[in-house]
Amino acid sequence: MKWLWVPLAGYFALPLVATAVLSLWQGSRGYGFEAYVTLIHTPEMWNSLLLSARLAIETIIAGLVILVPAVFWMNLRLPRLRPMFDFISVLPLVVPAISLVAGITAIYTGPDWLVGTANFLVIPYVILALPFTYRALDVGMRALDLRTLTEAAQSLGASWPSMILRVLVPNLITALLGAALLTITIVIGEFTFANILLFNTFAVYINHIGSTSATQAAALSLLAFLLTWSAMLGVALGGRKAAR
Amino acid sequence: MISLEAISLRKVYGSRTVLADVSLALGAGEFVSLLGPSGCGKTTLLRLVAGFERPDGGRIQLDGRDITGITAAKRNIGMVFQAYSLFPNMTAEENVGFGLRVRGEAAAARCKRAQEMLDLVGLAEHMHKYPHQLSGGQQQRVALARALAIRPALLLLDEPLSALDARVRVQLRDEIRRIQREIGVAALFVTHDQEEALSISDRVAVMENGRIAQLGEPAAIYEEPESLFVARFVGQMAEFDAEVDGDGVRIAGHTLPARRAAGHAPGERVHFFLRPEHVRLVEPTFGLPGLVESRTFNGPTTTFRIVLEGAGRVLATVPTAEARHAPGETVGITWDPAAPRILKLDGGVPTPET
Repeated sequence: MKWLWVPLAGYFALPLVATAVLSLWQGSRGYGFEAYVTLIHTPEMWNSLLLSARLAIETIIAGLVILVPAVFWMNLRLPRLRPMFDFISVLPLVVPAISLVAGITAIYTGPDWLVGTANFLVIPYVILALPFTYRALDVGMRALDLRTLTEAAQSLGASWPSMILRVLVPNLITALLGAALLTITIVIGEFTFANILLFNTFAVYINHIGSTSATQAAALSLLAFLLTWSAMLGVALGGRKAAR
Repeated sequence: MISLEAISLRKVYGSRTVLADVSLALGAGEFVSLLGPSGCGKTTLLRLVAGFERPDGGRIQLDGRDITGITAAKRNIGMVFQAYSLFPNMTAEENVGFGLRVRGEAAAARCKRAQEMLDLVGLAEHMHKYPHQLSGGQQQRVALARALAIRPALLLLDEPLSALDARVRVQLRDEIRRIQREIGVAALFVTHDQEEALSISDRVAVMENGRIAQLGEPAAIYEEPESLFVARFVGQMAEFDAEVDGDGVRIAGHTLPARRAAGHAPGERVHFFLRPEHVRLVEPTFGLPGLVESRTFNGPTTTFRIVLEGAGRVLATVPTAEARHAPGETVGITWDPAAPRILKLDGGVPTPET
């Protein structure tokens, strides 16, 4: 089986290498970092990247504020609801993004600061990140003796919020970190919602630049790949550190 | 002075009555054990007192104050759990200081108290270690220090020794008792281990099917069981069908002395209980004749299993130095007339004549 890594590595590495080569191509002027330099000096790129980053942070916060207490309560008091939680958590993977976006725009109306701005994207993004956030939190909480820890904290006089913030969250750091980093990769790469709802996120910008400059699009894709890849690496390293 | 008072507590899960009208009072500084087989309701009683469950009937008072409707967090009751109750993200010192932290005490006072408590349980040098760096016994000591750091009105112990190995268990059990005495806090201790309950308690409550079958000092529980359940549950006893005959009992055609037969009517059929350490081995011509079936060496004592003619089996534990019989030998058994326990067929004891 040793030789198996050769085709596998080729399968994954070849497109990356090709993209990298294309991103460095400067037509008749040979190879260089022209595409990267242009990108760095393009304010739209930065704006879209910042927007995606902001959305990622908002999504992480909204997702965790909703899910930490919910998964905690399910594990502690309503374990018989687990099948329902499991089912709901995988729905975003089953329902196509295009139906989600149609449904969501039809249902949600609200104040301008939410519906009229890119903040609206946080709603579908929380849903998209749900399978990953839920899994990470559930695994993290199952590893703890939740009932005993909760009761110990209670008997020592801790209120529920105090118990969640001082005992639960610190013991879930790895799980929370994993959930956060996975959410970042999802939000940075999400295209369908943003494009249909006409918001200029990072993924939308990559698509847009692709129609005007092939080399810049390649450069940007590579950067986006590195960004999400380092996030994944963060999850892996975080997990290993916590395991020690 | 009464510390904890549980009055007519009832707890029902669906169609199952887990606690049926349990009342129990602990004096100030008293150490009471709840002893019983699993499912007898002892843990449920403890959880009601802790405030983790709500009773379906009855009241709980602590130092004269009704706490039935108060949440666990506001009861000021310290609790030590079976295992794994330390917060993994905190050092021993932080664990012990946690109760004071949520009470808003200043860091300096918290730190001082935590050190005092860790000192008390003999873990001062381990204060900066995390739970996973401590042994099981050490973790339970920290848990004890943590429960006591809040200056609780009552200490609850939910089988805190059951996850530890035998040697540590005995050591820690004595230490829990020493510290509880030193602090003077009343304690309620749940265990299914009789030796544990008998050795450290002021009083033991033996529980059966959601009721307290007998409440008394350890020696009384051991020597004077008042029901068939307690007689059969606590310690080992041989049990025979017997008939009261004058100042003794008649077993398998032999009349033998038993002082407690006195309270029963002549000719009454009774249950006769005898502990292994009260059995004396004599010549077959005296006492009840039997055959030595096996011999087990326990170190300081040796236990014989003897098949009696027409009465069943009995265990006899004698000092090893005096153990002379071998399997296959015929022996007679007898006992100190004060030793056997006699219960009515329905399990009761005769009411003493006034």
